[in-house]
Amino acid sequence: MNDDLNTQTWLNEHGDYLYSYAFLKVKDKHVSEDLVQETFLAAIVAKNNFANQSTIRTWLTGILKHKMVDYFRRQGRVVAIGDLVDQDDEDNLDYFFKTNGSWIEKPDTFPSPESLFQQKEFWKIFQKCLSGLKPKQVEIFLAKEIHETSSEDICKHYSITPTNVWVIMHRARLSLIKCLKIHWKD
Amino acid sequence: MLNCKQASLLASRAIDQKLPFWERGMLKIHLLLCRSCANFIRQLAFLKKASRRSRIDPDFQLTDEARQRIANALQNKQKDQ
Repeated sequence: MNDDLNTQTWLNEHGDYLYSYAFLKVKDKHVSEDLVQETFLAAIVAKNNFANQSTIRTWLTGILKHKMVDYFRRQGRVVAIGDLVDQDDEDNLDYFFKTNGSWIEKPDTFPSPESLFQQKEFWKIFQKCLSGLKPKQVEIFLAKEIHETSSEDICKHYSITPTNVWVIMHRARLSLIKCLKIHWKD
Repeated sequence: MLNCKQASLLASRAIDQKLPFWERGMLKIHLLLCRSCANFIRQLAFLKKASRRSRIDPDFQLTDEARQRIANALQNKQKDQ
C-alpha cells in the first residue's frame, strides 16, 4: 500500500501545516480547526480517488481550499477557488527591479528585531503580509520557514525542483519585506 | 558581474544553504560593491529571524486538544469505512 494513504500519519505530517494555512486566511482558531478536521474526513472518504497525479500534501491542501471556499460562501464572502490557486506562473519581478536588474526601491536597514518582536502589532502585520503572498508562495513559505520542512521534502510534497524552491522563496521574501515595510511605517 | 536582481536571488538562497563555490564568490564581490544588496541580506536575516520566532506562534499550530479531537474523529470515521 502506498504509505501516503496511511491516514494515521496525515495528522502528524500535515495537520499543523493545513491548520496554519487555514488560519492565515480564515483568522479564526475554531473555524480553522474544524476545516482541518473536515478536510481529513473528506479525504478518508475520497481516499480511493487519490490517484498519484498529485502528492498527498497538495491533494489535502486542495480539499482544504474547497472547504475554505464553502466556508467563505456561507459567510457571504465571495472567494473563488481561483483566488487560492496561482493563475499564472509568470516570473514577474518588474515590481522590484528595473529592466537592467537594479533595484527600483533600494533596500535600507530594518530596525533591530528585538524591539519589533516584542510588539503584538508586528506579528499581526507579519501574518497579514504572509497571507497576502501569492498562493504558491504562501504554501512553500509556510512549509519551509514556519514548519521547517526540509528542502528535499518540499520538492517531494509539491513536485517541484530545488530551483523552483529558490525562485519561489526569493519572490516570497521580496514581497514579504516590501509588505512589512509598507505596513510598519503606517 | 551580477546585477542586483541576480544577486538577490543568490542572497535568498544563501540564507538557506551554503552556496556552491562560484556563486558564493560572485555574491561576495557584488556585496562588497553594493550597499543596497548588503542591506537586502540584513533584511533577509531579519525575516528569517521573524519566521523562526513565529514557529512557536500558537496561531500556526494545532493545540493538543484540537489534535486529539481530530484524531478521534478520524478514528471513528475509519471504523465506519
